[in-house]
Amino acid sequence: MTEFNEEPPTDCSAGPKGDNLYNWISIIMGPSGSPYEGGVFFLDITFPSDYPFKPPKVVFKTRIYHCNVDLNGNISLDILKDSWSPALTISKVLLAIRSIFTNPDPYNPLTPGVAHLYVENRAKHDEIAAEWTRRFASSLSLANFREREGWRPT
Amino acid sequence: MFKKNNNIVARIFERQIKTPPPSTSVNCVRRFYENLVPDCTINDIECPDHSFRKFTDDGHYLISFSRNHQDLIVYRPTWPSFSCNADNCDSLYLPQKAKRFESFFTQIYSVALASNNEFICKDFFLYIKTNQFGLFATQTAPVPDAPAVDGAIQGIPLIEKITFHLVRLEDGVTLDEKVFNNDFVNLAYSMGVFLYDDLMAIMSLRYQTIHILQIRDSGNLVDVQAIGAFCREDDALFLSSHAQYMIHLDKHKQPELPLDQGGNEIQRQQQSTEAQSSFLSGIKQRLLSFMFRGIWDGERDHSLQRVQSLKKKFYIHFQDYVDLIMWKVQFLDRHHLLIKFGSVDGGVSRNADQQPSFFAVYSMESTEIIAFYQNSADELYRLFEEFCDHFHPTSRDALYMNFISSHSNNIHALEQLRCIKNKASSFAQFVKKMLASLPFSCQSQSPSPYFDQSLFRFDEKLISATDRHRQSAEHPIKFTSRRNPNIFKFKIKPGPEGGGADGQAKKISSFLFHPVLPLALSIQHTLRQPSVVNIHFRS
Repeated sequence: MTEFNEEPPTDCSAGPKGDNLYNWISIIMGPSGSPYEGGVFFLDITFPSDYPFKPPKVVFKTRIYHCNVDLNGNISLDILKDSWSPALTISKVLLAIRSIFTNPDPYNPLTPGVAHLYVENRAKHDEIAAEWTRRFASSLSLANFREREGWRPT
Repeated sequence: MFKKNNNIVARIFERQIKTPPPSTSVNCVRRFYENLVPDCTINDIECPDHSFRKFTDDGHYLISFSRNHQDLIVYRPTWPSFSCNADNCDSLYLPQKAKRFESFFTQIYSVALASNNEFICKDFFLYIKTNQFGLFATQTAPVPDAPAVDGAIQGIPLIEKITFHLVRLEDGVTLDEKVFNNDFVNLAYSMGVFLYDDLMAIMSLRYQTIHILQIRDSGNLVDVQAIGAFCREDDALFLSSHAQYMIHLDKHKQPELPLDQGGNEIQRQQQSTEAQSSFLSGIKQRLLSFMFRGIWDGERDHSLQRVQSLKKKFYIHFQDYVDLIMWKVQFLDRHHLLIKFGSVDGGVSRNADQQPSFFAVYSMESTEIIAFYQNSADELYRLFEEFCDHFHPTSRDALYMNFISSHSNNIHALEQLRCIKNKASSFAQFVKKMLASLPFSCQSQSPSPYFDQSLFRFDEKLISATDRHRQSAEHPIKFTSRRNPNIFKFKIKPGPEGGGADGQAKKISSFLFHPVLPLALSIQHTLRQPSVVNIHFRS
């Protein structure tokens, strides 16, 4: 926790929901350069009572078009399953999740259709992913809004 | 300053020979209302036992409902004309025979709106002036403790069927209907519905959806979009076509793909489109990310500080923010909505002034929240004080609406507001109380010139342009001249002449002012007694 406060991973943020230390909320901002750029993704992190011996459960609360996330927001990530180690911190988990934004793993997919498209037609995949981000995850802060209005009127 | 003559003849003469200062001609003409006041009263007039709702804002119709809340009865206000052959024809008084309700109002028609177990919501009526359409609502009895099913919000009552009727007021023909099943829309004083030009926003409290409808000139109600679970009109279609595509793709490409649970995929996809998803609704996603971005961008270079303020301002209240529900909505213009958020308890209760609530400005075009305030925000109050009229968006063709007094367009109303502000014991409480009136209810204010505070002075506690039932005062309500407070202009006294028989019973009165004519109805209700209707007019 302290470690997280001191050095949160880029584009990531997390904190306990209210005063419940077993239930956290995390926010990952879509990394720039990825089709998820501009999106704000909310994740629910639930720590089991035997944490850190069991991995936390992480679920997307924001819709995302990603081959490692199913249509209910569940993530397939090896370190959250079999490769979990009690030495892993929340920062590491968030970093790992953030890395699948830029580098999806189409060979262990939860949504095979998305994985297939990613392998076969990357451009099309990115286009759809950007469209999902725009529809379901986009957030313009006022500064961004003004910037967009002023710089790129569409 | 030279003294203006208040004599009507002098004024007419003045009008002939003098050009009013630029762009004040309407204001000058309106001053004639000081000379034309409803100073004559017919007490307890013999009239049909209806519940009278309102004059339409153009003054063409008087809307009323039958006592059993089944029929709509529409009258046309007419100025009494009579002939008399008595000697004193010049007498100022109306002959006894003309003192009838029918001399002032002609019934155009009576039509049944409600059917079966539905009844007309007597507090609901909106007028679409351009087409002379009326919007009415009928509903079944609400069920207070309804179970929350199918994504409904727990704690919001249920109304089995709410029907909105679009009626052509000219002849009473119902042109279109829009039905909401097992939903809840706050219909009292049209709170849950807002009309702007040809657009209508209906706030479904139970399903947390703002339905945007368009009223076509042809008399059709057309769904434009629903804002709630999704923000764009084709989001749901987008998702389902995506699901379809996935199924299609899986069927063909499955063998090639290195997957372990492909077979379940189709089933899972289908289930998930139907099943209650755990995702944040579209509007919540927008709201939460706007709040998050505000804090994140506010502390750009201090990561530790950023973490701290996110924790203090955001994560600690996260669940409360997620649990917020939309209470009320209004248009600010064709593309922007002002949405009020609050807790579930406040959505249906009456005295929610002091509860924490939030205001968001939502752009329907970009589907983004562009401003967010708490109900204690000084900044929002400042906007409210200085630019109140911007919260009352007026349709393009409704010029007379510009004359409804508010503290932003009327110095006297502003003085009054400042006076209350200075008297308030706590500024924070005052701000909350004032902001509780936002978002404004649609068409809740009478455009009658007698409520124009630059012309008349009256006690706002007893009577005002706002459409509300009020507790009856024992004394008549006096209207005095604004420019010279000593000049008494007219008085309005609801109830029978000389007061009621029972001085103890609680009396509630309502006032219907004609928007242009010196004509008003005052209706006094006493428990278990027929209501008393007085007509106030200029003799």
